Amino acid sequence: MSGLTINRRRAIVLLALTSIILLTLDLQGSSATATVRSAFATIFRPIEGVVRVVTRPASNAWYGITHYDDVKSENRLLREKIAQQEGAAVAAAASVRLSQELLALNGLPTLAGINSVTAQVIGDSPSNFSQSVEINQGSESGIRVGMPVLNAAGLIGRITQVFPNRAVVMLISDPEYALSVKVGSVPESTTSSTVPGEGIATKITVPQTTTTTIAKPVVVSTIPGFTPGATTIPSAPSGITTLTIPSSGTLAVRETGILEGQGPSHAPTVRFISADTRFGEINVGAPIVSAGGSTSLAPPDIVIGTVSRVVRRLGTAGPILEIELVTDLSNLSFLRVLLYQPITELVTP
Amino acid sequence: MNRILQVASNRWTRLVLVALVLLGLQTTLFSQLRPFGVMLPLVLIFAVSTGTVHGSEVGAITGLVVGAMYDCVLATPFGLASLVIGSAGYLAGLLPFFLREPTWWSRIIVVVVVSAFGESMFPVALATVGLDGWLNSHVLWIAAVVALFAGVLALLLVPLSRWTLHETAST
Repeated sequence: MSGLTINRRRAIVLLALTSIILLTLDLQGSSATATVRSAFATIFRPIEGVVRVVTRPASNAWYGITHYDDVKSENRLLREKIAQQEGAAVAAAASVRLSQELLALNGLPTLAGINSVTAQVIGDSPSNFSQSVEINQGSESGIRVGMPVLNAAGLIGRITQVFPNRAVVMLISDPEYALSVKVGSVPESTTSSTVPGEGIATKITVPQTTTTTIAKPVVVSTIPGFTPGATTIPSAPSGITTLTIPSSGTLAVRETGILEGQGPSHAPTVRFISADTRFGEINVGAPIVSAGGSTSLAPPDIVIGTVSRVVRRLGTAGPILEIELVTDLSNLSFLRVLLYQPITELVTP
Repeated sequence: MNRILQVASNRWTRLVLVALVLLGLQTTLFSQLRPFGVMLPLVLIFAVSTGTVHGSEVGAITGLVVGAMYDCVLATPFGLASLVIGSAGYLAGLLPFFLREPTWWSRIIVVVVVSAFGESMFPVALATVGLDGWLNSHVLWIAAVVALFAGVLALLLVPLSRWTLHETAST
């Protein structure tokens, strides 16, 4: 009996030491743990698949019981939202297209120029202390660790683990998530329309490369910071395109900060590198987009959310901004992985 | 052939097979059924249940083994869940120190208390290795919900752990 106890104690010590060694290796960024996880996944995934199929009725029943009222009210709300947004979406799409054309014209990177992979969410995080989801695309689709992940609304996270046919996405709300972002100032007047030909500040003439013609939009938008038709490319019969650019005073000023997740129960926050913000007061509702840059894991101008609260701090620490995300992280279904890697991460063959 | 049958009937082999199924349930059904927004840690409650039935040493080994398997599907640092669940399994096995003849309901109470404690040790362990974003008041809510449901799950998991790790003549 005592021999059995000694054996068990030896086993406990051995297992605990193994765990500590693996923990140390993982924290040092060793690939050994990734190999162990990958090998285990080979055995475990078929079992998990069977369990998923067997438990699906129970899972569906649970959703039916606990979410029926929510789904009904959400459906009604969505119908109303769709009706409201249909009009604004047309004008927004035209502006986005024009923006992309302008960026392309000036040799600046745009999201439209980045390839992406559409993936489906196949699992939630199996822990209370990790904000992540699993998707059904992996390295075979070109996905690499660090790539940004979006849904239809905006940024939702980044890839943290990649397997041949699946990947793990760390959500933006995870405390380990951090990203450099830009905070835009909210213009004084946010509900206006601009008719081409008025308020022209600068004219640039370039050889004609586009035949885009936009009719004079007289649309009143309710989107903060969005002015329909403010930037136009009217067609010119003389073969010259005239770009109408708003004066620098009307452009939104941007401030750069670091966005950090705060867990599922708290809103993500943005803290500034510098306490002195260039545009002074930061208003609630100011848009937050990714900053991009040569070392950032996300390209610039991916929509993240808006400022929901400004927390002032004493001294030189600068304010902290609480963010209301545009994405609903509790209800993710189809995602888009941008096959984007910063220049510093690209490996030349 | 006898050797293979002997290995297959070994209680540790049985533990690994049962743990694989429990882990499958953890990553599918239990990661979706989130009562009050909290995921119920099935593998932790199983290890704690084993500790209350078979003692601290078997509880610790079960926790370390099941935790290592759990680590393979988690995004947290590898080995952390193993150490936390192993410690919880060991702690649950200390029940005989306090009660000479534990009853079924005293075991359930121990599972409830130690499961809540073990779950709240996860953010502490994460903070120990430098990932301190999880250590906030929400942990108390998670521990409370885990305690509430651990009592119900223990009614199933205590008999399961008893069957899984019962000693046969060959083991």
